[in-house]
Amino acid sequence: MSEVFQKRVAREQRQAFRRAWFINFLLLYYFCFALSYLVFHFLALEDGITAHSKLLGLYLLLCIVVGYLWSRSPASAGRWMVERTNPVLKGLQKQPSLQKWLRSASGIFSLLLLILTLCLGWILTEMDMRALFSVQGLGGARRIFTSLIKPELGILEMVLEAMVVTIFIALMATILAIPIAFVASFFMARNLMKFSRSALFIYNSLRFIANFTRSVEPLIWAIIFSVWVGIGPFAGMLALMLHSFAALTKLYSEQIENIDRGPLEAIEATGANRIQVVWYAVVPQIILPYLSFTIYRWDINIRMATIIGLVGGGGIGTLLMQYQGLARWHEVGTIIIVIAIVVWIMDYLSARIREAIY
Amino acid sequence: MTPLLEVRSLNKIYDNGVHAIKNISISVNKGEFLGIIGLSGSGKSTLLRCINRLVEPTSGEVLLDQINLTQLPFKEMRQKRRQIGMIFQHFNLIRRKSVLTNVLTGSLGSTSTLRSVCALFEDEARERALEKLQAVGLVDKAQTRADELSGGQQQRVAIARALMQDPELLLADEPVASLDPATSHSVMDYLKKANQEYGKTIVCNLHFLSIVRQYATRVIALKAGEIVYTGAATEIDAAWFKRIYGEDAKEVEIR
Repeated sequence: MSEVFQKRVAREQRQAFRRAWFINFLLLYYFCFALSYLVFHFLALEDGITAHSKLLGLYLLLCIVVGYLWSRSPASAGRWMVERTNPVLKGLQKQPSLQKWLRSASGIFSLLLLILTLCLGWILTEMDMRALFSVQGLGGARRIFTSLIKPELGILEMVLEAMVVTIFIALMATILAIPIAFVASFFMARNLMKFSRSALFIYNSLRFIANFTRSVEPLIWAIIFSVWVGIGPFAGMLALMLHSFAALTKLYSEQIENIDRGPLEAIEATGANRIQVVWYAVVPQIILPYLSFTIYRWDINIRMATIIGLVGGGGIGTLLMQYQGLARWHEVGTIIIVIAIVVWIMDYLSARIREAIY
Repeated sequence: MTPLLEVRSLNKIYDNGVHAIKNISISVNKGEFLGIIGLSGSGKSTLLRCINRLVEPTSGEVLLDQINLTQLPFKEMRQKRRQIGMIFQHFNLIRRKSVLTNVLTGSLGSTSTLRSVCALFEDEARERALEKLQAVGLVDKAQTRADELSGGQQQRVAIARALMQDPELLLADEPVASLDPATSHSVMDYLKKANQEYGKTIVCNLHFLSIVRQYATRVIALKAGEIVYTGAATEIDAAWFKRIYGEDAKEVEIR
């Protein structure tokens, strides 16, 4: 092994150890938390939860120390995870066989963790088989189902009107998001933006904004906008547009990052400027996938537009919310049937269009 | 006579530490057809790309007509690139556009951004593009989509695109490496035509010695980023061949 390589390995190992320590700490802390929560829950002490939360600080210290010691073992969960994903260390390390690992302390610990998680999940989600199969509950369910399959057709005209509004919410959100996402995607493609430091800064900040926007659910954006511009279709459209913009830029820019570099080089070599290079070497390569992504997005938006209506985004969702609040299940049945038919038709259309493009 | 192109102690070290070309100096006179040979990974492509700065050289100088390109700010470098045409192994045409549009991209350097984005090329440029297509025998295919052509035809379009720049220097990066032998000769003949009839100076990376012997006026050989041979192509004998390509190599003829 050359000296340079040895140094590289040592550096990677130090880094891997720190990461493994952090992962091991998280796992151990979770283990302690879950175990003590369960113990106090089953003891059913009056002040059980208070006692549990008092102990959390102690667990913290304990887990940092134990985590450190455990990370020294290559078979520990953290080391295993980190080293498997590190290109340098993965090749060097001999991975323990599955059977051996299962019988080791780490294996048993992992198994215990799995069982603990299931127990904790059962309690926290308040699972209750008696409620699911009680006579009273089943009767209520039957009442709703029978109402739903006997829809009230008197309100059909109003439902269709609201459905048209919903379709246009989705349409406007998609159409308005396209140009913004299109332009932004070029600034969010690493292969186009790595030519200078300031360009990379723009790339990173745009990425951050888009990632943030995308990680906030459109439902929450709809709530924000319904306060901002008032309850109604406009708020729903804005929420969907924002989310579409974030989702489309991600798909678009990934497409740009996957293009063939050859034409890029060739156009650059002619003395073309950056805009010309993008227009002639990048755009022709991405236009079809872009169309496909956009139609797919419009598909998702139709479905999301109904959901967004539930929180004040207007259209058919709002109507559904109103009738459901009044417990008028026949009307709710009509609305659900209309939604199902329209979503199915849009699905079919967009699949056909995408097929035709490719 | 001052040389058209002069490369002075050029080095390129990539970010991953690979020292691709080491201290290379060459000079190319106007009207020459210089062949560069060497194994894959010997630095041929890097050398070519350092000349028009598609790859930024680490140190050294590249002089075109006595002007040092490596020191030029990027905007002026773009102006200089118009004088340097380039041809690639994989043709690198815009696949979904017509042959004519592909040739017209050769004039992007002298077209304004607004005009080129709207595809409003001057009539004079269109005429010139058709003329270049005539020169490579593809004027009938002007409206065909580029990816509908065969490999050899695509490379001829690429030659027309490079000629469209009206360059003083033509760089060719293994122009026939992905073509069959018969097509290779046709493409090389068009390069020869560009060299002899239009007086373009050519620097060309090549794999096959037989092609080098037939077309190049002079040859340099690279091995591990260094020049190991300079001279006439016909003078490379069996001993030299082994020094360039290694002990186990056997020469393959391509007719």
